[in-house]
Amino acid sequence: MRKLAIFVMALALVGVLGLGAQRIKAGFIYVGPIGDYGWTHAHDVARRIVDGKYDWLETVYIESVPEGEVETYIDQLVRQGCNVIFTTSFGFMDGTLAAAERYPNVIFAHASGFKRAPNMATYMADFYQVYYLNGLMAGALTKTGKIGYVGAFPIPELKRHISAFTIGVREVNPTATVHVRWIYEWYNPAAAKEATEALIAEGCDVFAFTEDSPTVVQVAAERKFPSFAHYSPMYAFAPDYVVSGQLVHWEEIYDDFLLKIHQGVYTTKNLAHVDYWWLLAQGAAELGAEMGMPINPKYVAPLKGYVVNHPQFGRISVYDLVFLRYNQFADPGITFDPFEGPIYDRKGVLRVPAGMWMSYESLITMEWAAAGIVGPWPGEP
Amino acid sequence: MDWTSWLVGTVSRALAFGVPLLWGTLGEIYAERSGVVNLGVEGMMILGAYAGFAVAQTLGHPGWGLLAAAGVGALAALWHAFLTVTLRANQYVSGLALTLFGLGLAGLLGRGWEGRPLRAPLGAVAVPVLSDVPVLGPMLFRDQTILTYLGLLLAVVLWVVLFRTRWGIAIRSVGESPATADSLGISVARVRYLCVALGGVLAGVGGGYLSVAYRPAWTEGMTAGMGWIVIALTIFSAWDPLQAIWGAFFFGALYHLSFRLQAYVSPELLKMMPYAFAILVLAASGFGRARWRARAPGALGVPYVRGER
Repeated sequence: MRKLAIFVMALALVGVLGLGAQRIKAGFIYVGPIGDYGWTHAHDVARRIVDGKYDWLETVYIESVPEGEVETYIDQLVRQGCNVIFTTSFGFMDGTLAAAERYPNVIFAHASGFKRAPNMATYMADFYQVYYLNGLMAGALTKTGKIGYVGAFPIPELKRHISAFTIGVREVNPTATVHVRWIYEWYNPAAAKEATEALIAEGCDVFAFTEDSPTVVQVAAERKFPSFAHYSPMYAFAPDYVVSGQLVHWEEIYDDFLLKIHQGVYTTKNLAHVDYWWLLAQGAAELGAEMGMPINPKYVAPLKGYVVNHPQFGRISVYDLVFLRYNQFADPGITFDPFEGPIYDRKGVLRVPAGMWMSYESLITMEWAAAGIVGPWPGEP
Repeated sequence: MDWTSWLVGTVSRALAFGVPLLWGTLGEIYAERSGVVNLGVEGMMILGAYAGFAVAQTLGHPGWGLLAAAGVGALAALWHAFLTVTLRANQYVSGLALTLFGLGLAGLLGRGWEGRPLRAPLGAVAVPVLSDVPVLGPMLFRDQTILTYLGLLLAVVLWVVLFRTRWGIAIRSVGESPATADSLGISVARVRYLCVALGGVLAGVGGGYLSVAYRPAWTEGMTAGMGWIVIALTIFSAWDPLQAIWGAFFFGALYHLSFRLQAYVSPELLKMMPYAFAILVLAASGFGRARWRARAPGALGVPYVRGER
């Protein structure tokens, strides 16, 4: 009888420990609807990929959560038994931190923020390298010398992207300008459409954007102008006019993070310095408007035909330059950065001294506009 | 600065952006003229946008899509009519519920439809001869779909019906004083059902225009608040179909200009402009001119119960 009791207790203990070490129920809190075909859609695609990959993993999600109410929804996920919770909007930051203090036994990870705790990590898949590569191509393709850019909000993330894009443009086309219009919404197709129409009226003939719908690509294609996709695969929306773009692979980060929790590497005690800032080299970002297609084949010839006299590489086609830079980014020991000094902002202030790169801190708080950007720039120093 | 580019650009964009507003406003004018406020315009528009996209994509013709959008809009509106006319529920609550329900249902049904362009979009028609006239051609006759011209025609027809026919008198009297209309033998319920349903048809087409013509793709929440602008425009137009034309296209022009002018004026200020204008109009209509207030249907928002005063 006693033997049996010990056996049962031992079994229970193994069961509890085993389950504790293995089973993960991960909850995802999204700021938008999963059907937005932008930011939230991409996170949800990634969630489904990792969910299908591991049998020790179960996932749940809540969509369209208002930023001020994130704590209520975290409470709900904890009650449902989630032991890992991802919050995927910058505005969720303080709520997630407060919840992390209240639930010390739950692991939290917050996307795009900078506050951490022993049980709260941060993560971000950033695109500024890819925007720079797109800029190289845009600079080669414009005939009017005016490139249109539709931005959601004038925040450091977009300012970094537009500046990287413009630095690319100017590297191959020193007199071209990038004209910016803001729509003050992450997602509003009508606003994106009218902003694009306004840029067309001003003579722009190549388009790029940062907002959560394929609108800019569609409107540009109607007028037969090339454009660059953003975030989700948008090749199908304009097969003749989408040149390239940025694609995200959040699943690379989720996979790594969850696997390390599963293996016991990450615990509720050691996340205070865990910050994923993943770029091309880690596979979190991809160049292209369609998975596996860095450049639309229709634009290979024009890009090969546009040859520049590069200060570093001599005579080189933009097509070759794109892949040369791509390899420099993809190399594990990244050997080039778009913000390699000397870099002056559009007011002539030296922002990055010759030979220097920008620090992570200065990248995520960047407010200045690179030379060549035209248009309003709220908060410009 | 090339003034023709500004004129042509602004007018042609005002028309293209104003179309869904015009259709929606015309519908809401009829519903409210019969005495029923329908705050479900946003919901009916998004359902129309979803149905329009799904059917046009499946059957391969934008016409079927727009027809489906009209049908779905009518169904949604009939639900509102049933609740508010037959069951005499609070019109504001029922309308808000319809908006929330429409946004939710369209989002749910739309899963898996996003991320694909529409294979059969409704294209712009270049009107023969007229589209080649300098300035006027590109301004009015090159970048518009058939729904721009149909909308204008519809506004005129609806104005004539409302102010020059017996049907119009019946509708207006039901909205003004349902008891009197009832005593004259007009069926208040039937008139209200018909007007609310017409409102749904037009809002549905307005939504369908967004997903089938304006930006031929489906994404969740793509109406992005247009239904609320329609509610404001209904008041702005003083419940007059002809004034709705100016309202919708003026708002369209302001909206487009808010992006065009960013090079010169602070974008935060411009972003406010169309909405600040709407608030101004509402304030003006509330304060001042008695004429405006007098135009509001007398029994607007009040359920009709025979024998009650």
